Amino acid sequence: MSESAQPEAADAARRSVRLPRPGHLPLPFIGGALILGLSVFVAAFPGLFAPYDPLAFDYNAVLQGPSAAHPFGTDNFGRDVLSRVIHAYTIDMQIAIFATIFPFVFGTAVGALVGYAGGIAETIFGRVVDAVITFPFLVLVIAIVSVLGPGLGNMYIAVGLVGWVFYARITAAEVRVQKRLDYADAGRAMGYTHARIIFRHLLPNAITPAIVYWMTDMALAILLGSSLGYLGLGAQPPAAEWGVQIAEAKNFMSTAWWMGVFPGLAIVVTGLGFSLLGDGLAELLRTRR
Amino acid sequence: MSETVLSVEDVRKDFPITRGVLERLRGRPQRAVHALNGVSLEVKRGETLGIVGESGCGKSTLARCLVRLLDLDGGRIVHEGTDVSGLTGPDRRAFNRRVQMIFQDPYSSLNPRMSVRQILTEAMRVHDMRPAAEIPARIEELLDLVRLPAGSADKRPHEFSGGQRQRIGIARALCVEPEVLVADELVSALDVSVQAQVVNLLLELQERLHLTVVFVAHDLRLVRHISHRVAVMYLGKVVEVAEAEELFERPRHPYTQALLHAAPSLDPAQRTRAVAARGELPSPIDLPSGCLFRTRCPHAFDRCVVEEPALTPRGTGHVAACHIDAPVFEAS
Repeated sequence: MSESAQPEAADAARRSVRLPRPGHLPLPFIGGALILGLSVFVAAFPGLFAPYDPLAFDYNAVLQGPSAAHPFGTDNFGRDVLSRVIHAYTIDMQIAIFATIFPFVFGTAVGALVGYAGGIAETIFGRVVDAVITFPFLVLVIAIVSVLGPGLGNMYIAVGLVGWVFYARITAAEVRVQKRLDYADAGRAMGYTHARIIFRHLLPNAITPAIVYWMTDMALAILLGSSLGYLGLGAQPPAAEWGVQIAEAKNFMSTAWWMGVFPGLAIVVTGLGFSLLGDGLAELLRTRR
Repeated sequence: MSETVLSVEDVRKDFPITRGVLERLRGRPQRAVHALNGVSLEVKRGETLGIVGESGCGKSTLARCLVRLLDLDGGRIVHEGTDVSGLTGPDRRAFNRRVQMIFQDPYSSLNPRMSVRQILTEAMRVHDMRPAAEIPARIEELLDLVRLPAGSADKRPHEFSGGQRQRIGIARALCVEPEVLVADELVSALDVSVQAQVVNLLLELQERLHLTVVFVAHDLRLVRHISHRVAVMYLGKVVEVAEAEELFERPRHPYTQALLHAAPSLDPAQRTRAVAARGELPSPIDLPSGCLFRTRCPHAFDRCVVEEPALTPRGTGHVAACHIDAPVFEAS
């Protein structure tokens, strides 16, 4: 009795947490997690990987192609492109998270409330969302950044003001479906509060699409950060940021392709990581009925 | 057996039909589906009250009104002397602790992301049923009560069969120790082989826990088998109430007779040509005048068009809403 109690308890604990064994994880999830895990590690400790100071000029090695000393070549100031790509991870991973975390949290909460309330609240909300979505996203963000002034902080504010509506719309639609199911009624028949029904019962069943979209959105945020960096509205030179790097490379595209291609590849790989993780999460969080 | 637990008094429920903007501008009046048109009914302590009727007759709506899932548009529901129709917040919670519901669909009625333990623990915590330390033991007790295998507590709904899920639904309703259980089509979504098990479990629990059960179903034989009293509904009204045997042996309302005729019988001697109701169920949006059943009633006469019959006594504990008070109608 006492002998079997221990493994039983452990078994129960494992079952209540329900982490699938690594072998059962979806392949895209593993791939995405590996890429992003590595990216985050690089972002946290760029000094461990970068062979040179990303800001140090070297006029004896200007616009050199890839070589043993500079695997990704050097730019027009003789800065090591590899070191700059590596240091850019710090900024670009920050962009991915900070530009999306507020829209995700605020958007899903608003969407859950609005989807649950329905009626006039949902109608008004729908019109607000339509108004925001009518503007091209990038143009709207550029307009807001222009008013607030360039820089990463203002970029987060601009993206936050616009981005939450997408999460809210996705979540509202899903909550609207979930609230009509009998388990929501069972909660009401138990006398549960609306807050408990929305956030403990409906949201866990409604949030998966928003999480998957979040992953895509992080990749989009990096692209947006790079676009704004390219336009001079995001990260400011001489900071190492992929978009800034590509912007600097545009004048040397025909003579020094390596200046733009390697930051571009970093964007592609990171974006791929987020997409794979999104696909994997969709598989992992699928509701079994 | 005779004390009234829940009393339904002239309850009405309308579901408004959404009008388009154009219709609104044209001043088209708001229309509604009249789901309940003045239902009056008493639920007595310790009994099983069966509620039968065709689909669309409002029996599920009535069940949902009974547990306060729907607000009434008229009339009231009285629980042990208190009008519960307008209860909100803690009062409503206290009422729901005593009057619980079991849902029809064993698949959508359980939160797929919560284990059985989480489902039961949450309900017991919210209603402060047991000190936290005693909850695990109580869960085992409840699972045993509804005959779920040991070790079910930490599984999630998708790991169970339909019948087992319905038992989880019963356990969830019972964990707050209610006095009244409203079962809406408890077994209609289950395989026939499983139906009997679940129904027998309910009957056994009723006896052990002295429950009052309101059993909403369209399966006449099942209702006859388990109910003490039966109420027949038609188009959002109760048309006849009687003890189960009395109702099935001596139906007094023409609709009840039609319903019983329509039910297939395995006994050749019992087989009759269905005189039954003619035509289709009228639209619950535009209700007939007078008696709601007159459009399909083989015995309707001019009085039925102008005057709605009230529920009048037809013997001990037997009421029917019909202008004709004859012991047996000629099946013409």
